[in-house]
Amino acid sequence: MTKAEHDDDRALEALFARARSHPPEMPEQLLARVLDDARHLQPTRAGSLLGGWWRMLGGLPGLGGLVTATCVGFWLGVAPPDGMPDLADQILGQQVVMDETAPDLSGFGWDSEEG
Amino acid sequence: MRSGPACLAGPVALRPEPMRHFPPDPAPDAEALLLARYAGGDAAAARLLAAQLAPRLFAHAVRVLGDGHEAEDVTQEALLRLWRIAPDWRAGEAKVSTWCYRVVANLCTDRLRKRRSVPLEDVAEPEDPRPDAAQQLQQRARVDALQAALQSLPDRQRQAVVLRHIEGLANPEIAQILDIGVEAVESLTARGKRGLAAALAGQKEALGYET
Repeated sequence: MTKAEHDDDRALEALFARARSHPPEMPEQLLARVLDDARHLQPTRAGSLLGGWWRMLGGLPGLGGLVTATCVGFWLGVAPPDGMPDLADQILGQQVVMDETAPDLSGFGWDSEEG
Repeated sequence: MRSGPACLAGPVALRPEPMRHFPPDPAPDAEALLLARYAGGDAAAARLLAAQLAPRLFAHAVRVLGDGHEAEDVTQEALLRLWRIAPDWRAGEAKVSTWCYRVVANLCTDRLRKRRSVPLEDVAEPEDPRPDAAQQLQQRARVDALQAALQSLPDRQRQAVVLRHIEGLANPEIAQILDIGVEAVESLTARGKRGLAAALAGQKEALGYET
């Protein structure tokens, strides 16, 4: 860097420093207009809660996947493929028989011991 | 663009603002937290965020455009877009201030391009001769030697020099804002400083510094 370039650099730095310390003054009405826009566009709390759930589900693609999975599950339940056991029939159509045997209390032998 | 609801109805020439990929900033973005609070319905968050961002964006727009009225419109438009995108803001991808600077930079570029395409004789005379705050600011800017020298630079050089040497941003952030590489930022600022030095040559004494 030549001496002239060095001098230019120093001079520019002084001007930049002055510009940094004296930023353009922002009109107060501008802030008022900006806040007015913010008020008009601010989501409501209820809307943001719904929006939160919607985003958690993955939005429209997520909802599409959820609906598809539900439909496939329902169809598999109604008309299962040949190789698949019909769980609905097994559960609803099977007769359950419970054979309850009473304990043989005579096995203790107390009655024969007492005569 | 002056009143809130009216400006919402007009068409918005939204340019997509995808950010050049850089490693995410590990420091928590306080402005992103405020934006999330705004999106959650907290009205105070908007006031805090606007108080932090608006003066910086306005200052940048004034330096680049050299016109207070236009800088006001650009600042309002940039923040309007921020309020709109707030519910969909993805934290961690870009800093809120970087995103806003990028919108301001694009809006300034659009306006500077339009200015060049409008013949001087078609520019309307100002309606009100009384100087308001923005006009006073513009007059002050006109007598500011640095501002005058900045106006002599090509648009991109001016934006890079203002962001680097007046706003004090780091080169990687400027690269994101201007959607260029870091080396290109270095080149723009170096050429910009040479251009400024040439424009200010001969005014050193008048500007109050000795060599």
